[in-house]
Order: sequence, then structure tokens, then C-alpha cells
Amino acid sequence: MNRFILADANKCIGCRTCEVACAVAHRPDGDVTGVSAVNFNPRIHVVKGGDISTATACRQCEDAPCANVCPNNAIRREHGFVHVLQDRCIGCKTCVVACPYGAMEVVTHPVVRNTGAAVNVLVEKAQANKCDLCYTRPQGPACIEVCPTEALRCIDRNELEAMSAEKRRRAALDAGAQLYS
Amino acid sequence: MSVSLDDIENSKCLFVFGYNGADSHPIVARRIVKARQKGAKIVVCDPRKIETARIADQFLQLHNGSNMALINAFIYTLIEEELYDKEFVAKYTEGFDGLWDVVKDYAPEAVEAATGVPAAQIRQAMRTYAGAESAVIMWGMGVTQYGQGTETVKSLAALALLTGNLGRAGAGVAPVRGQNNVQGACDMGVLPDLFPGYQSVADPAIREKFAKAWGIDPAQMDPEPGVRLSLVPHLAMEGKVKAYYIMGEDPMQTEADTSSVRKGLEALDLLVVQDIFMTKTAEMADVILPATSWGEHSGVYTCCDRGFQRFYKAVEPKYNVKRDWEIISLIATEMGYPMHYDNDQQIWDELRELCPIYYGVTYEKMGELGHIQWPCPTLEHPGTPILYTDLKFTAVASGKGQLLTHQWRKPAELTTPDYPLVLSTVREVGHYSCRSMTGNCAALKALADEPGFVQIHPDNARQLGIQDQALVWVESRRGKVITRANFNERVNRGAVYMTYQWWVGACNELTQENMDPVTNTPETKYCAVTLKSIDDQNWAESHAEQIYQDLKARLRSVVENAKPAAVAM
Repeated sequence: MNRFILADANKCIGCRTCEVACAVAHRPDGDVTGVSAVNFNPRIHVVKGGDISTATACRQCEDAPCANVCPNNAIRREHGFVHVLQDRCIGCKTCVVACPYGAMEVVTHPVVRNTGAAVNVLVEKAQANKCDLCYTRPQGPACIEVCPTEALRCIDRNELEAMSAEKRRRAALDAGAQLYS
Repeated sequence: MSVSLDDIENSKCLFVFGYNGADSHPIVARRIVKARQKGAKIVVCDPRKIETARIADQFLQLHNGSNMALINAFIYTLIEEELYDKEFVAKYTEGFDGLWDVVKDYAPEAVEAATGVPAAQIRQAMRTYAGAESAVIMWGMGVTQYGQGTETVKSLAALALLTGNLGRAGAGVAPVRGQNNVQGACDMGVLPDLFPGYQSVADPAIREKFAKAWGIDPAQMDPEPGVRLSLVPHLAMEGKVKAYYIMGEDPMQTEADTSSVRKGLEALDLLVVQDIFMTKTAEMADVILPATSWGEHSGVYTCCDRGFQRFYKAVEPKYNVKRDWEIISLIATEMGYPMHYDNDQQIWDELRELCPIYYGVTYEKMGELGHIQWPCPTLEHPGTPILYTDLKFTAVASGKGQLLTHQWRKPAELTTPDYPLVLSTVREVGHYSCRSMTGNCAALKALADEPGFVQIHPDNARQLGIQDQALVWVESRRGKVITRANFNERVNRGAVYMTYQWWVGACNELTQENMDPVTNTPETKYCAVTLKSIDDQNWAESHAEQIYQDLKARLRSVVENAKPAAVAM
């Protein structure tokens, strides 16, 4: 089962530190001073409503709609998450439309491409951006590391099972006891 | 504050009044969240549904400017429902009868209209606070930045005294300061009436002690208190202050009623600004003294819980900059008083010798990132995490806690049909103070940038024909600025909120003073404004951008055209 990042809305204070950490962690140079409004593309997003502050990111679906609809087979399940192979991405945005969580975004960045005739031109390269659990980062997801209130967790099979067990227990013992009373 | 920040986690009840931790101090907000996880009751009083209000047991959404009316109703409830700690009040406090004289007209039912809080909620809040095993009252600028700030603080302290919530673990009063190291500035005597260590300049014995240490004649020391920061522009306009030396402050950005500050600074004969980056204040300076930034030097900070912490240099300073104390030493020497220090520790040890409450806090004891809270009078003393454990309140000779409150006064500038909205100035998490530092941080700029924002409830915005994220005019009797409307369902209807750090959407062009008579803190939490939509948004975008670019160009040209010091110091 894929792991995924989950935020606890009871702990989130909406500070957006996770967004900055994400944007920095996904820069090839890892340099915070290189971030700007133009290239600020975090893969985790803080959402604030009237009563909720929380962060949202990809759920790493087991049967991922983004992967199913990708016309160029750029998205596949590997390394324990839903992985976008950026060199195959054509920026068609079908995955963005398909994702029920709004966790996928297509962003562009300028790259130098050799046309083959010894001419280098600057072109916009598209990239389908989503949480990759910082899989190349030895310390694991950057957002979890920086959250000041420990509101972010990486949920795996065991933790999900523990959460469900706790809910079953509560449902059975609290509500169940009253059923026949 | 009388408690420690880490002790806040252990309290059974947090009573949060006019303090938005999530935006002002995320690191303190973390303590609030942890206390909540550990089962503490949380009661929040704020006009906005702040992050803490989301996780609170009770949220009292009071009207802006009604703090004192609400607190008087709290005191009324404690007394009328006999929720107060009779034994504690009898043994350790004074002024109970006077308290009732003031609050007798503030029954929760009587102040419902003024505060906007249902009487049942007010009563329930006090039952929770008084019933808790231990409780901490936390407050911030939402209390102090009003014309009645000092009186309101005293009345909050009365709540703690009435319920015996002082002097023990998890119980106390916790004013959380506006800026990093404000406590340190006060500790160091950056107040007009005090030497370092809270020692009065009016006391001849104290003056003599400092004069002796500094090798000067005590008769040369000025026995009169100086003036407070917010009064300087006025005194300059009256011709009573001729020269102003500003270190690390940007009053053109952070003080209320910018146009009056501007006139004051223009009236000076000499303005010296010592800072790390260009600001609107530095632009007006006759002399700019470039100093090292926080990462380029070491030193000691004091946290708002009286805790001293050493910090260390991270990078070597570049270009022509000097340490703040080095600049002071050089100026003192030029003015005829040879001053010289070799390092931080020499200054710190001089301070310890002169300030009994800091004497035991040696460099060695502070160690690497240690935290020692004053008072710490002897070398063996471990510091004082909790104040008043002996329940002696030595500010008065009797040693008894003073139960004080006052009649509620309305804010100075109420709304009118022409200016129908309340403007309150607030903080946002990504930017610090005047933004001279965080505005230069690319990632924080990416989160929020010029021309800034005005938070408004969507219902108010729709009435005014304003779209979310559209540029709007915000106008008061003192000026008008352009900024971006930011729809926010958590703010109360009838009030709008701006952060004071923007150059373009500069809310202090709009605010008014109505200073607290004791602290001279302006009433930046309340003035009357109106919002106007702008039809031509393309024009507005380019206009806002133009103001920003012009200001940047002006600041750049000031630096480029500045004459370097003629004499090498």
C-alpha cells in the first residue's frame, strides 16, 4: 500500500511552513534564496475555511485516476508512491482534471533545448507536480520535518489500520452500548 | 510573563485574550496546541475567529474596542456568582471593595450590546476559568494597542488575583510581547525612565552606582526620565527635540499616523538611523550607520518569559558594517567619552555587576542555547521560571496584589456613515515587524508581497461591490492607500484588518494615535475607514506596481548618492 501525507486539522495553525519547505526541497539546488513568486510551486497546500485550517497533498491512490488517464504513460506506481516521470510529461493537464483532490498541478519552467541544428533555444517545459514523498531525500518528507505543531504525518498501512481499529473500538463501545439500552 | 512558555503546555486552562499566536508566534502557538492535546480547556476572546479559536472550547467574539467592558463583566461574574477564591483574595490582595464599585454596572446582561457577547457565554467563560485547577491568561497587542491598554492589563491581572491563578505551575499571567527581544530591550533599559535591570533613573543611589562603574561624575547624569518613542515626532514639531538617533526601528512604517511621524522627522535638525537594510525611515536620515544583522553577530536575547538565551554568529559580516555596540563605542569616543569593549562577554559581565536581578546569569551558565530566567540574583541561583511563588507582590509596600479595574472607555475614533468600517492592524505569519528583513527573503515574499492585503468579511465586500483579490482603496480621515482585498470568513462583519508592514498598502497612513496615557502606545487596533472599489483594475495593478518600483528606486538612489564618512573611524 502507498504511504501518504495527512494533516491533522486540530493541530494545523495555517502557517504555510510546509509549503516553503516543499518548494525548497524540490529545487535541484535546494537553495531557499532561489525561490521566487514565479517558481514557487509547492506540492502541499494550506487551505483555510471558516472553521478549518489544514494542509492537503496527494493521497497516492492505489488505483490512481491521474495515472489511468495519462495519455503518455508518464504516471506510474513505483517506489511506494504514484510517480510522475517528468521527461514523459507533455503538460496536457488531463491528470489535473482527473484528480478528485486537486492534488495535481501542471506547472512550467524554462529549459534550454538543443534543436539538433546546434541551436539552443529557451522553451517552456511542462511538469505535472504532485507530492513524491520527497523520495530522493534521505530524511524523508520535508514538510513533516518543519511543521511546528507536528500536524503532518506520513501514514502507512500499519498506521491506517491503527486509526481504523480505534474508530471501530469507539463505534462499538460508545455507540454500540446504547443500541439495546 | 509570570509563567514560562513551556509551562503553558501544562496548564489546565488557557484564557486567550487579544492574542493571535498562530500569526504572531507560531512557536508559542505550538504550546497552545500541545496544551489542548493534553486536555486543557481553551477560551478565546477575539473579534476574529483566529486559529486558536478553532480549537477552543469557547470562543467569545467580542466587538472591536469593547475589551474593558467584557473584562468588567468577567469580574462582575466572578464576584456575583461567588466563583472567586475568597481565601486567596483575603490573604494576598487589596482593593476588593473598590473593584465592585466599578464593575457593579457591568452585569453580563448589561454589556451584551456593547460587547456583542451573549451574557450566558460570559458567565460560562468565567465558570470555566475559575473552575480550572490552574489557568494562564495570555494576551497580546489586542489588549495593549488601545488608548485604555494599561488599565485593561490591570483588569486582566485582577482576574488572575481573584481566582488565585498566580505563583504556581500552570497558573499565571502571560503577556506575549510584540517583537522578538522586546523583553531584552526593556531588560537593557531601553525605556525612558529606567536603567538596565529595571532600576529607576530618578533614584540618586542607582545613578551613583552606574556613574561609578562608568567612571563619570554622578552629577553629570540626567535625573529626569527621557521621552517615549511615540512622543518624539510631536516634540520635534514643537522644537523640543532637535536630534533623533534611531537604532533598528522604522517608525515611518510601524508607528501610527505616518503623516504626523513624517512631519515630526522632517522638523528635526539631525536624524541618524542605524539599521541593516534601507527603510522609509532611513530614507529621511542625515546619517546612516550600517550595522551587522542577527546572523552576523552573537549576543543574548531575552524571551518574553524573562529567559536569557545566547545566540551565535552564523556568517561573517560583509561590506562596511559594524556591530551595534562598536558603533556606540566609536560615537561615545568621538564625543569625548572613551568607550571600548573587546567582546560581548565584557558588556554582559558589566551588566551583571550592575543589575542584581541578572547577577547570577553568567555566560557559562547560559551555555549553548540554555535558557535562564531572571530574577537570578546569585551565582548558585537556577533562575526563576515562575514569578510570585511566595505570593508577595512587591510592586507596592504592602506586598499585596492590587485588584484594579476601570470604567470602559470607547475608542477615540468611532465609525460614521462616511467611514463605516473599523480598521484594526494585525500580524501575519510570514512577515516580521516592518518587513525590512523578511521582505528580503525570497520564499516569504512568494507567500505574501506588495501591495499587501486588507482582510474583509465576504458579506461586507459584496455590499461594496468588491471582488476577492481585487485592488481597493482604503481611506481614513488621515490618508488613503491602495491594497488587495482578501476575503476572510473568520473576520467579523463591520471591521477590516491590515498588517502594518507593507510599503504600498501602508495601514499606518490611516491609523490614529489616541495614546495610552501611561505607555504612550497608540490605539492602532481601532480607527474608522471606508473601502472603495476600483473599476479599472488594470490601471490599479500598474499604479500599485509603480508606487512600489518608485519607492525601491528612491531607496536605492539614497544609498548610491550617500557620501561615505569623511573621517575613517
